[in-house]
Amino acid sequence: MERHGTSSVDCNDFSRSTGQTSGSDKTEAQQTALIVDDEPVSRAGMAARLKRLGYRVLQAGDGKAGLELLRRERPDLTILDWMMPELDGPSVCELVRRDPEVFSSQIILMTGHDQPEQIAEGLARGADDFLSKAASPQEITARVQAGMRAAGLIRRLKHATDEIRLKQEAIERELQSAARYVVSLLPPPGQLLPGLEMASAYRPSSALGGDLFNVLRWHEHSLGMYLLDASGHGVSPALRSASFSTFLREDNLLHRVGSSDPGAILTEANRQFPLTENGSYFTIVFVRLDIRTHTLFYATAGHNGLMLHRRSGEICYLAQPSLPLGFDGGNVYHTVETQLSPGDRLYLMSDGLYEVPSPTGELWGQARLETSMREAAAKPLADALAHAIGAAEQWLGHQKFPDDVAVMGIELAG
Amino acid sequence: MSMITKERPVPNGVVLEITGDLTYANREQFKTAVERIRQRGVRYLILNMADVRFVDSSGLGLLALVSQNFKLSQGQVSILKPQSYVREIMVLANIQKLIPVYDNEQEAVTGFKQAA
Repeated sequence: MERHGTSSVDCNDFSRSTGQTSGSDKTEAQQTALIVDDEPVSRAGMAARLKRLGYRVLQAGDGKAGLELLRRERPDLTILDWMMPELDGPSVCELVRRDPEVFSSQIILMTGHDQPEQIAEGLARGADDFLSKAASPQEITARVQAGMRAAGLIRRLKHATDEIRLKQEAIERELQSAARYVVSLLPPPGQLLPGLEMASAYRPSSALGGDLFNVLRWHEHSLGMYLLDASGHGVSPALRSASFSTFLREDNLLHRVGSSDPGAILTEANRQFPLTENGSYFTIVFVRLDIRTHTLFYATAGHNGLMLHRRSGEICYLAQPSLPLGFDGGNVYHTVETQLSPGDRLYLMSDGLYEVPSPTGELWGQARLETSMREAAAKPLADALAHAIGAAEQWLGHQKFPDDVAVMGIELAG
Repeated sequence: MSMITKERPVPNGVVLEITGDLTYANREQFKTAVERIRQRGVRYLILNMADVRFVDSSGLGLLALVSQNFKLSQGQVSILKPQSYVREIMVLANIQKLIPVYDNEQEAVTGFKQAA
């Protein structure tokens, strides 16, 4: 059944058939093979064989023309003669592998000298397979079909990768849009009331953060403030935080709790937000400030970031150990009160601000945060916050905090 | 760091020996190991945390969750020998209010007998 070399040679097909269909229009039904060989008779013989196998065939008579055709037509498989003037087969292979547009092309290198060393060199210089000019028709068919199979797999892989990349980009855009929404929930810095300045910082660890803070206006003399931290990172904590912040709106609290008392609010929130089936929960610090008497009322649930920096220089953490929300549905949260003085600063913060690891893993910690707040005591409130975050970044060694960082500070005019 | 769990029967209950970190990354493994024990009808579970170096906020939530689940089936979870750092994290979240913490296994087992 030896038919090699006996079929008629269709030299008219040479290069003229190129440019008829673009690479992207190719269907699985007809795959394209490119034959690059400076020897017209052997090139035509191979072309006829591949056409009989049902492939669309392109031909080039030297390495340079072959490379051009490969770049333009993106054939599924290229059969490349080793020995050619100027640009030989292995050099074409090397150029193809260096070209990011076509580097994944399937190439079979063909030669009359199939010594093991030569096979090794051909493969090392970028060929996918090797074919002897003396190979039987069965072997040629089998290797071409194997090459086409590999080309099909690579094409599908490339499609899948492109699709994943497009979907990833769409998800990123969605996340950015959701992140802008979360930021829009945050209160603008500035004067909350005459004599009461607010500054804040918000640095989510990924696009979407689970930390949230806000200011509630009860009366012209009474302000509420909270900072909450949803356990975990990413989309789910951000959604849960946004839903919790809706619960914490002034009108809803009056309706559901009937009080502006921080302990009563957290006790009700604890009932409303049980642990999720994955054990996710919130920690929160909630304060109310009576601006006439400078009395601070506060309650915390598993949240330690409530720091009072007195004008005298004294710094204290006000929170006592307490259960996070949802840990015990029957728990009662108590309000504690303390007196503020003009010039005092109060910070509500997430632990992401001070649980910052150095490159060796040592945590920055609350003591170093205190030091940096003291250093910036004479600066305006917003600058003091920026100073502390800068110091934490310096400790971290870069600007990408491992956990969400949220902090809101207020200062009573002195 | 990954997590390895190994269980061992004690009078009235099961000790689950945990080695590794109790964190977000290991949450499914921990939940599966504990649920397997609970669904067998075991009522008293001792989590031996002597070889747990780190518990993150998700890990704390899991401890609260398994404690709640055991209470729902009239059981109880207790924690044995937490390392100092883990103990500190648990104290800040007041975990001992929910889950008894013991320093030796005999006391933990006795605690069950009293509860039973």
